[in-house]
Amino acid sequence: MFIGFLDRLIGSMISIHMDKGRVAMKKILLLFTMLIVGGCQIRTLDPHSQMADDQAFLIYFSFAIMTVVMLVVFSLLFRFTWKYKETEKNKEDVPEEINDNKRLEISWTLIPVVLLAILAVPTVMITYEISPQATGDSTSANNNDSANHVHVTAERFNWTFEYENGKQSKDLVLPVGKSIVLHLQSADVIHSFWVPELGGKQDVIPGKEILYEVTPGKTGNFLGKCAEFCGMDHALMRFDTEIVSEEKYRRWLLDE
Amino acid sequence: MMTFNLLDEVLYMPSDVIAAWVLALLLGPAVLVWITRQRKWPVLWEYARTTNHRKVGTMYLLFGLLFFLRAGTDALIMRTQLAVPQNDFWVFQGEKYNEVFSTHGTMMIFFAAMPLLIGLMNIAVPLQIGARDLAFPFLNAVSFWLFLAGGLLFNLAFFLDSSPNAGWTAYTPLSTDTYTQTAGNDYYVFALQISGLGTTLTAVNMIVTILRHRAPGMSLTRMPLFAWATLITSFLILIAFPVLTIALFLLMFDRLFDTSFFSGEMGSPVYWQHLFWIFGHPEVYILALPAFGIFSDIISTFSRKKVFGYMAMVISLCLIGFLGFMVWAHHMFTVGLGPMANTFFAITTMLIAVPTGIKVFNWLFTMRNGIVRFTVPMLFAIAFIPTFVMGGVTGVMLSVAAADMQFHDTHFVVAHFHYTIIGSTILGIFAGIYYWYPKITGKILNRRLGLWHAGLFVTGFHLTFFIMHITGLNGMPRRTYTYEWGENLLAFNLISTIGAFMMGAGVLFFAWNIYTTHKSGEKASADPWQGRSLEWTVASPSPEHPFEKVPIVDQRDAFWYAKQSGRKLQVEKDPRPAPIAVYTIQPALMSMILLVMSIGLIYNWWLLALICGGFLLLMFLWRTWKDERRSLYEREEPDE
Repeated sequence: MFIGFLDRLIGSMISIHMDKGRVAMKKILLLFTMLIVGGCQIRTLDPHSQMADDQAFLIYFSFAIMTVVMLVVFSLLFRFTWKYKETEKNKEDVPEEINDNKRLEISWTLIPVVLLAILAVPTVMITYEISPQATGDSTSANNNDSANHVHVTAERFNWTFEYENGKQSKDLVLPVGKSIVLHLQSADVIHSFWVPELGGKQDVIPGKEILYEVTPGKTGNFLGKCAEFCGMDHALMRFDTEIVSEEKYRRWLLDE
Repeated sequence: MMTFNLLDEVLYMPSDVIAAWVLALLLGPAVLVWITRQRKWPVLWEYARTTNHRKVGTMYLLFGLLFFLRAGTDALIMRTQLAVPQNDFWVFQGEKYNEVFSTHGTMMIFFAAMPLLIGLMNIAVPLQIGARDLAFPFLNAVSFWLFLAGGLLFNLAFFLDSSPNAGWTAYTPLSTDTYTQTAGNDYYVFALQISGLGTTLTAVNMIVTILRHRAPGMSLTRMPLFAWATLITSFLILIAFPVLTIALFLLMFDRLFDTSFFSGEMGSPVYWQHLFWIFGHPEVYILALPAFGIFSDIISTFSRKKVFGYMAMVISLCLIGFLGFMVWAHHMFTVGLGPMANTFFAITTMLIAVPTGIKVFNWLFTMRNGIVRFTVPMLFAIAFIPTFVMGGVTGVMLSVAAADMQFHDTHFVVAHFHYTIIGSTILGIFAGIYYWYPKITGKILNRRLGLWHAGLFVTGFHLTFFIMHITGLNGMPRRTYTYEWGENLLAFNLISTIGAFMMGAGVLFFAWNIYTTHKSGEKASADPWQGRSLEWTVASPSPEHPFEKVPIVDQRDAFWYAKQSGRKLQVEKDPRPAPIAVYTIQPALMSMILLVMSIGLIYNWWLLALICGGFLLLMFLWRTWKDERRSLYEREEPDE
């Protein structure tokens, strides 16, 4: 009985791909490609650093796996509601009761576990690599002498960046291709440092210094924003980020 | 903004608050006159003193819907402000906008979604399990009135121009009095504290009712899944809400008495986030599980089949509830908890997808081979499955900790949790109201208007929130009232705004449906849907004392199989005595005293608070020495 049922199931799945579902399938695929092709306009999918690149990969990868899940559920739902809808003829029928099916139930338990395991591997690897740490922990960042250190202070509702030679500015200027360590500190409430092209956000917590490491890979100008609600003008708490060549950066640092 | 000079003090009033006052002052007397003309005061007085589960449930639904409309209006205000870049809609920029989204979130979760679900539980669960009322009818009335007191207190804040403004999550230190000095967040603390107490008491009531008052023969594994979902949810409430209570008390001490739990040398603002999410994540499942239960019953009824994989459904409910307590830090991936915590909570979060997936496939296979009837509740259920699955898959995407650092606190997250909460809870509530409306009022809601409601709401919903995923990926943080022209966000936001108004139109059809049905709706029979569980054996609306003859349950969906074989359910000759209904104003009185006491505490009027506290204690004592069951005991055991 089970084999016959599975046959019908697969048959119905295939027939969906062939006819009724074709339009829906196309739409979803189109959307998928739009997201990828349009990626260069979507800020989080337009990485300018290794970290942002890894994160964009995870976004695509998880979306691809999840698209499979969605397609299966949507086609089954469409199939079942279409095929088993009430008609004048079957209105008074009492359907045959099928209340469990061990193999099917095991497969829709185990297949998601496998899909999640596939997703978990890069998740754990990348998360381990990029999760920032508070100072006081033994970090490689502190010992990394070649890195450029910038002290970032968030205060309602603006950002101040202080560079190694003591220069302060309201905009963040960074050299391309160099390892940067941002020392994030807050003067009042919790804020969050976010430049989507450079990577994910990091909360800035009062009473704590958090190190955020990033190596910009390409030059460009990006808008940075506070991403943790911090009060009245949270929406206006922005800063410009400029990734420039190294000599331009040196010149800018010495510029008064 | 308008300025008044009053007793030498300058009083600022934003024009939206003035508009609300004007509206209230016009509508209030009109409503009073209407009640008097219609001679409805006795009805109101009866409802104010009732302890009957259906009536209490109906009040939960009414006020839940009222608060839902208020919070929905807030949503439309936000969407209007965000429609185009650098917009200046009315007064809703800066602090005003912050108040609107704080109110929207808090109201929707605590004063709309929760009471609407609890209302449906109140109405349906006792009838589904063959109980003649909730185990503690008096306590049930207390729960309701506590919810209402909390809701009124919360809305009062708006009329006094001191709405909470730190978001529904009220993150410290922003929510401490150092950074938000106005009374707004005190209102938040006390309103949630009062209504949370009511919710906790409801959980106790539901657990005892389900464990002790089932009809003979109804073993736990013969219960409908909504009753199961209610049972599990009640345990979640019982564990999660005390954590919120503690967090709110600590915040209250920080705000009122200058302690420093969440700031300074010894405290930390991150403690609040842990406490809040240890409550907050289970809360998500407290909202979702009852909806799962509602949909399980509806899908089974309108497919003319038993639920597929009943035991798997129950076990996955339990698993979701259990795992729900182990994932709270996935709200905190950007706090910097370190790589170990981030990966641990990423994995546990992913695990929740497994039992949830099991449920989805079981719903699908309940329909398979059945006869699917497209009634309005069933249409909501069919809309629920893809919507909730989309919320689920973005949930898995968010669990990828490293990627979440991009998603976190953007419109992507806003889209995700609206997909899950509207997709499950709100669609579930709508479906449940259409489904059980005959049991509530004895009438059946109009199908044509219901189709308009479902169609507009669901279409508008996807228009609003699907696009928000992209808005978020393109760098739009949540809780921001404006964005710039060059940011490539206009098209996305404008579409969201259009969708939001479609949802609003859908809700108007719902309101219109309730109104016309009340005026001239068609009367419903006891069993209008060809139902399967015991609630369809009692009359519509459900009588004040249902199950005068308690049925004996011999299998799952016993009523359905009895109908199939053309017999009646057997009746228990010597049933357990019913919980005793009383008419009492005490619950309402207690809650209103608590409301006034909260106002005293908020404004540091200690004397008022003390007097109210004294009265409250007296009311407790009065209740302690009074037991309406005494006469019954004496009748049962005349010797003692």
